[in-house]
Amino acid sequence: MAEYLIFLGCVIPYRLQSYEISARRILEAFDVKLVEMPSFNCCGYPVDPIDHELASLLAARNLCLAEDLEMDILTLCNGCFSMLNKTNRMLKEDRGYREKINKALGKIGMEFKGSIEVKHLVHVLIEDIGLEEIKKAIKRPLKNIQVAQHSGCHLIRPAKYASRGGNGGMEMLKELIRATGAECLEYEDEDECCGNPIIGVNEEIPLQLAREKLKHVRAVGAQALITVCPFCHIMYDLNQSRIERKFGLKLEIPVLHYPQLLGLAMGLQPDELALNELRVRPDELLKRIIG
Amino acid sequence: MVYSMSQKEEFEVVNRVDPAFKRAVSGMHGAEKISLCFQCGTCTAGCPISRFNDFYNPRRIARMIQLGLKDRLLSNDALWLCTTCYTCIDNCPQGVEMAYIIRALRNITVEERKVMPTIYKQMLSNILKTGYVYVISELRIKRRIQHGLPPLPKSDSKQIAKLFDATHISDILERAETFDRVD
Amino acid sequence: MRESESEDIRIGVFVCHCGLNIAGVVDVEEVTEYAKSLPNVVFATHNRYTCSDPGQEEIRKAIKEHKLNRVVIAACSPRMHEFTFRRTVSEAGLNPYLLEMANIREHCSWCHPSRPKEATEKAKDLVKMAVAKARLLRPLEPIEVPVTNKALVLGGGIAGISAALDLAEMGFKVYLVEKKESIGGHMAQLDKTFPTLDCSICIEGPKMVDAARHPNIEIIAYADLLSVEGYIGNFKVRIRKNPRYVIEENCTGCGECRDVCPIEYPNEWDMNLGVRKAISVPFDQAVPLVYTINRDYCIECYKCVEACGERQAIDFSQQPEEIELEVGAIIVATGYDIYLPEEENIYGYGKYSNVITSLEFERLILAAGPTGGHVIRASDGERPRVVAFIQCVGSRDINKYPYCSGFCCMYTLKHAIQLKEHYGDDIEVYIFYMDIRSNFKGYEEFYARAREMGVNFIRGRVSKITETPEKNLIIHAEDTLLGEPIELEAEMVVLATAAIPAKGADEVARLLNITRGSDGFFMESHPKLKPIDTPVDGIFLAGACQGPKDIPYSVSQGSGAAARAATILSKPSVKIEPIIAVVDPEKCRNVRVKCGICASKCPYGAIVVEKGKPAEVRAAMCHGCGTCVAECPADAITQMHFTDAQIFAQIRAALEENPERKILGFCCNWCSYAGADLAGTSRYEYPPNLRIIRVMCSGRVDRDFVLEAFRRGAGMVLIGACHLPYDCHYIDGNWKMTERMKALAKMLQKLGLTPERFRVEYISAAEGVKFANVIREMAEKLEEIGEERIKAENAKLKPILDRMLSRKGM
Ligand code: SF4
Ligand code: SF4
Ligand code: SF4
Ligand code: SF4
Repeated sequence: MAEYLIFLGCVIPYRLQSYEISARRILEAFDVKLVEMPSFNCCGYPVDPIDHELASLLAARNLCLAEDLEMDILTLCNGCFSMLNKTNRMLKEDRGYREKINKALGKIGMEFKGSIEVKHLVHVLIEDIGLEEIKKAIKRPLKNIQVAQHSGCHLIRPAKYASRGGNGGMEMLKELIRATGAECLEYEDEDECCGNPIIGVNEEIPLQLAREKLKHVRAVGAQALITVCPFCHIMYDLNQSRIERKFGLKLEIPVLHYPQLLGLAMGLQPDELALNELRVRPDELLKRIIG
Repeated sequence: MVYSMSQKEEFEVVNRVDPAFKRAVSGMHGAEKISLCFQCGTCTAGCPISRFNDFYNPRRIARMIQLGLKDRLLSNDALWLCTTCYTCIDNCPQGVEMAYIIRALRNITVEERKVMPTIYKQMLSNILKTGYVYVISELRIKRRIQHGLPPLPKSDSKQIAKLFDATHISDILERAETFDRVD
Repeated sequence: MRESESEDIRIGVFVCHCGLNIAGVVDVEEVTEYAKSLPNVVFATHNRYTCSDPGQEEIRKAIKEHKLNRVVIAACSPRMHEFTFRRTVSEAGLNPYLLEMANIREHCSWCHPSRPKEATEKAKDLVKMAVAKARLLRPLEPIEVPVTNKALVLGGGIAGISAALDLAEMGFKVYLVEKKESIGGHMAQLDKTFPTLDCSICIEGPKMVDAARHPNIEIIAYADLLSVEGYIGNFKVRIRKNPRYVIEENCTGCGECRDVCPIEYPNEWDMNLGVRKAISVPFDQAVPLVYTINRDYCIECYKCVEACGERQAIDFSQQPEEIELEVGAIIVATGYDIYLPEEENIYGYGKYSNVITSLEFERLILAAGPTGGHVIRASDGERPRVVAFIQCVGSRDINKYPYCSGFCCMYTLKHAIQLKEHYGDDIEVYIFYMDIRSNFKGYEEFYARAREMGVNFIRGRVSKITETPEKNLIIHAEDTLLGEPIELEAEMVVLATAAIPAKGADEVARLLNITRGSDGFFMESHPKLKPIDTPVDGIFLAGACQGPKDIPYSVSQGSGAAARAATILSKPSVKIEPIIAVVDPEKCRNVRVKCGICASKCPYGAIVVEKGKPAEVRAAMCHGCGTCVAECPADAITQMHFTDAQIFAQIRAALEENPERKILGFCCNWCSYAGADLAGTSRYEYPPNLRIIRVMCSGRVDRDFVLEAFRRGAGMVLIGACHLPYDCHYIDGNWKMTERMKALAKMLQKLGLTPERFRVEYISAAEGVKFANVIREMAEKLEEIGEERIKAENAKLKPILDRMLSRKGM
């Protein structure tokens, strides 16, 4: 099976090990070999607003590390995927910018060559493993389970750099959810942003955005919201009780990383998938699935 | 109504159109297409932020760049509200990449005015120190091992520092003033 | 070559300023002085506008005064004014083919504005190349061919009908061929027309009937175009008439068959909103009024046969019928289609039932339409109280169709006014627009009328639409005039979707050998001065097939095309360019061994090869591509006006100085040369080290041209051709060139040539940007490879090339 360099980024090892644990379990089950990426650094995304060139350099350094090992990169985080993939593609296509970046990279003895690709977990699941294989691995089909998806901006936009743009982008996660046997419900404003990137300068707006999202999800009766990005997950899981308090609401929507949902359908145990680390307890959902 | 001269002088001066700023912005990576904007407003209509903030209207920001209203643009902290959801980019019928243009405005503000939100200063300082946005605590690292996860590699902070120097941001970073919140 | 050397060659060179268009960049005086230094040039001057009357007069005077027998004009593209100047020189008694042009505007001043020095050097080279060719020019006589004075009009919409009627009135026989069952086109689908609000079919119907009744017009409807051969004055066109299963001559149009037919299917004319019977006409006013059976739906109950009775018009055994027409001119009026944003669900179209297109709305509001003129919602049959129109759906969007569709603003105003007229204050109408385009007579007043009636205009492009449980639609936009995002709940949304090239336009373009622009519409010969002509002589354009047009514009263009066609049809014969191939019987191998390669490569079958005899070119059939010339292994064929000697002279002139810094381009007249012209016209700047030699077809580019270029030290060689597979104006000259050059590239690479130094590119007349990019890329690469390496490679190649070219006697 496929082999990837896993790029963990900063947020996952620091705050969301549940995503990493469940993703590794799943990939292992499908024989995707993960190689730990040596001496990588922040993908560059948080630096972009301050200094775009430095952000590109940080991303490019990671790409060069992968080029040295002649391996494609796999990310779990939308932000890392977007930053690394976009930089990779831009540097491949835009000769002028490549030369500029390579000049600076020369100071640390590196050169961007453009010999590798960057993929998100979702792409690996769909393109390398394939929906058919996933369906075959389902031991506990999630019949009568209805969930909603939140693919997240940086997986599906800008369309130019997403493997499938716009609504087609959300279709990827929808297909993956359906492969577990669960139903994927549509809801209003499915592609709206989680708001997390600006929470450091303004809490009000992201919390409002998250509230609207969770209300729409609740309105269609989803039993869980499925994410594939640590930022979105933090917004909806970690901040959910805060939103409930602030706006005087009852939401109680468990937010699962997709590999957790898939793992359950594959018959893995909740603790193998670190489900106990979720803030909004998915007890109801687990009862329905495992009994 | 009749105004006396002295009253009049207190009025704000009429916006002075200035092409230099537009040129400067359109010279930045990702902002090249600013002059293609024909003010249709699709970006604003789809932007998750513009309904929360009066200033934050990507179409109007595009217009202000086209007219060269530099001071009004750079003095407004609302520029830091863009979530980089990229909806504007995918919606634009003219291929204008507003999210990148906002990024360019932020970059210019940092460089020329030496201010940035506190959170970014923290993150950049951490990256400069460790290569990562967070300083990952021993406790976390221990927990990884308990979970049976592979140990985290160490980044090469010497190399990172060289990259910081390459774009001269290190100087600005030290001196930059900060602000905590944008309302 | 020798003959021309024997006469006393006296060349005059005329350098044009073109106002500041050339003189603003190129130092024309320097170029003129330089021209004087060239061999055989006995006179040189420069002029502010060479094409103006005094400018032309100066040429005529100089020819006489200085006894000039060759003229070189350094000015704009020959595609622009070669014809004009040929006439000028012939007025002074010179054979028109003793003229050569150097393109120092489109290919020089316009594309190198910021490098005047190098542009001037380039202009000198271009003049030198033209002089080199002029030295070898021979007088030629145009070939006269007879004209069939009948016309073919392709497409029976309002433009085609207008063209056909005008030609018929002038006394010419016209075949009006229509794909659908009835003529009438989109206009027959419309309810009212703007800005007068008169009923569309009421004004078009009589025209349709006139066309049907006119003794000079033969309508061939429900038919497909199969093939077109020939040339101006003499086209042979094959048409397939599709079976209606109803005999045209016997059908009286009474409709008794329809009344008994039990089967219904969606009617395309009603945008599938209404139904029609399996035997029926698409709409009551159909012309010809002949019924058609749709066998996809027919259950063969034969009730219709019974109803038709002794008229015996129904014939289930009918087969497609092929007919051949001979015509002297062709008018293309194949119209446009409306973009249906279904697959992408844009603004919920195809997903939300109350989001419809304007053409669907047109059928709803039409009294004779499927709802009897009642505007109702598909979801519940209710009349909407709030209707929102959204403009520019797909239009003015670089991700879809970058152009403005031109007439949607006006028809939306019409729809809004119609709604207000029907329902008054009982309806609220909103129009989301970016700009209202209401130029032309009476249109702005129409816009004012809509405002007077209370139509609401919101300046903002919609970002998305969502649906409520009541199937109402929430529209999200910014009111850009207020500067704030807004939401509007509407009960029906109407999308003004883009007008796009008709389905099958690519096929029509291929069959007729005419070009399409980057927008997919057919391209006119010149945007200003030949807006109706195509690059193919004898073929003209009318109506929206050339770009979106409203009714008056389409009608005028139909009449214009008729007039243009009449300039040919009214004459007993026309002259065609004598730039044909000629076989030298002395050199032709076929006398000794079996050859006939030329005949097998000629796209037009214009060469006859009989055993033991030299090959022979049928002059009237030869289109002058020059493919045979390049293919002939014995160099026995010459193309008039594009002889080997002339082109070799151009190559050498171009590469006399600093060859390793230059890119030598061979560009076909119709696509890549025109693409280079467009790059100039659009002012796309690219590096000035390119020198272009014009050939009619890339098929003319001989291997030896490329070898000679490298032997002379060229830095790079480019061959520019029309796109594969179908764009070649000589059917497949580009394929012949491609095969030839693939082998050559391999060989050159083996001999040590860096592969990037020899490039074949396919660039259409619409691809100015691509042309500029290709040259930019090549120049960059040239720099990257470096002069040193190029010189080294060339030195290694030279002895081998010398040997290979020695048989040419060089
Ligand atoms: S990327 Fe920024 S400006 Fe663009 S829509 Fe998202 S938040 Fe608004
Ligand atoms: S969507 Fe594009 S063209 Fe329209 S206002 Fe925004 S940036 Fe300008
Ligand atoms: S005519 Fe009006 S609606 Fe149609 S594309 Fe042009 S501007 Fe848009
Ligand atoms: S190949 Fe071209 S030039 Fe030669 S005879 Fe045929 S049409 Fe004429």
